Amino acid sequence: MKGMRFAFLCREKPEPTGKKVAIIGAGPAGLSAAGYLVCHGHEVHIYDKLPEPGGLMLFGIPEFRIPIYRVRKGYEELENVFEVKFFPKTKVAFGNGEEEGDEFVENVVNFNELVEKYDAVLIATGTWESWMPNIEGVELEGVYPALDYLFKIKSAKLGHMSWDEVPPIEGKRVMVVGAGHTAVDAAMESLLLGAEKVYMSYRRTIREAPAGAYEINLLKQRGVKWLELTVPVRIVGEYGKVVAVELQKCKLGEPDESGRRRPIPIEGSNFQIDVDYVVFAVGQRPTPPFAEDVGIAVDKKGRIVVDSRHMTSREGVFAAGDVVIGPSKVGRAVLDGLLAAESMHMWLLGR
Amino acid sequence: MARRILHVDYSLCIGCETCQSVCDFLHHGKPNIRIYYTESGLPIPINCRHCEKAPCMNVCPSNAIYKDTDGAVIIDPKKCIGCLMCLAVCPFGAPSYDARLKVVTKCDMCADRRRVGLEPACSEMCPAEAVFFGRPEEVEDEIRRRTAEKIARERISSTVMESIGRIL
Repeated sequence: MKGMRFAFLCREKPEPTGKKVAIIGAGPAGLSAAGYLVCHGHEVHIYDKLPEPGGLMLFGIPEFRIPIYRVRKGYEELENVFEVKFFPKTKVAFGNGEEEGDEFVENVVNFNELVEKYDAVLIATGTWESWMPNIEGVELEGVYPALDYLFKIKSAKLGHMSWDEVPPIEGKRVMVVGAGHTAVDAAMESLLLGAEKVYMSYRRTIREAPAGAYEINLLKQRGVKWLELTVPVRIVGEYGKVVAVELQKCKLGEPDESGRRRPIPIEGSNFQIDVDYVVFAVGQRPTPPFAEDVGIAVDKKGRIVVDSRHMTSREGVFAAGDVVIGPSKVGRAVLDGLLAAESMHMWLLGR
Repeated sequence: MARRILHVDYSLCIGCETCQSVCDFLHHGKPNIRIYYTESGLPIPINCRHCEKAPCMNVCPSNAIYKDTDGAVIIDPKKCIGCLMCLAVCPFGAPSYDARLKVVTKCDMCADRRRVGLEPACSEMCPAEAVFFGRPEEVEDEIRRRTAEKIARERISSTVMESIGRIL
């Protein structure tokens, strides 16, 4: 049972350079960057709002995909062998509101003060805000953003949350909206927790499903009712709780800017399905550690803008991972973290 | 030295592409392990399997392919004539023509890293532990242990154990 070796470039700590780096976010990008930096002699401090490092690898992606020990032993090596200092339950912010995964925050550190304290800073805070559709009934009890749903389940499994705080899925009917990896994981976790019936609603067909047909077929084999070419238009509630979802059928029209055929709702095709929970997995938004102007540019999708050196528009502040590239895969975030760290190393040594 | 193997277990791969990323980083944009997505949407990592009876070694007309002490199948760039016969016979399509070096390159089981006591980077970093490295008996043992875990998980999924909570 070996852990991920984030510091895969070396076995032991080299001579210190005397430079101190802060990393905000202990997900795949942040931890890989930390691994590179400690192998090059820099002191690394990692700030994260969650109770333990790992980011979505621990708090989002189900255990049947990424074994928990793989991540835990991984960050423990960074801590024990490479003396990386972790600041868990610590949110770095500047004017930020609430977002998913904030339940555990005990300390808040001002982003600008952090930047002052270190020789360089890396922002690797990911995309922790779920898109929620603007339809009637999203405020009802029993409606969850997918990340929040998965986050609660994993937090309980990891021992950070009581199972009482997790939605009691056993024997209940769950509708997952979306067909990406997060949607698939939400559907699978629902099955594993004993949901009586799991539905998946997707506005395109299995051929366009971002998670791939294989994953969707696997769920269908396990009894998930796949409702392609449907879009939720209203969530029906009684006494403030979800009782049903109203779906509208769609057909595919001309390809949109993403190259996929655009779903067009069919007038008068609405129908209802009785459910207890609705989970929306229709995309994530970047969550940088600031909401007000700190001299760092973001694009119209909220992603931090970086140059070819992975540096933001503020000198000495770098960014990597999903907060720069948008929701991606663990591997993509790892590579981005490594490249950013390499560039930080060059910058720190004045090359 | 004892034979060591680099083994990818396709049933454990979650398609996160971390293997490809670290290999890409180490080889400056030219990874020797790559994820391919099948028509059915299944991610499959493709890399050199360092065959015991390597067809590439047999077919290479310039004897550029040899095995090192760990059993890694390695192409000597000084001897390679770039004829691509190795690619033609490889059951996995692993060898890759390097247009810059004008020779064929492929996974060398992280030869530089093994020399300094590190293991292949894909295996060290795979979050799903789907890439194994070690002596064959060690790797097999690990795979069987993982399989046992998987079987156990299927059997006890959604079982509520009193006083222990939910086991999954």
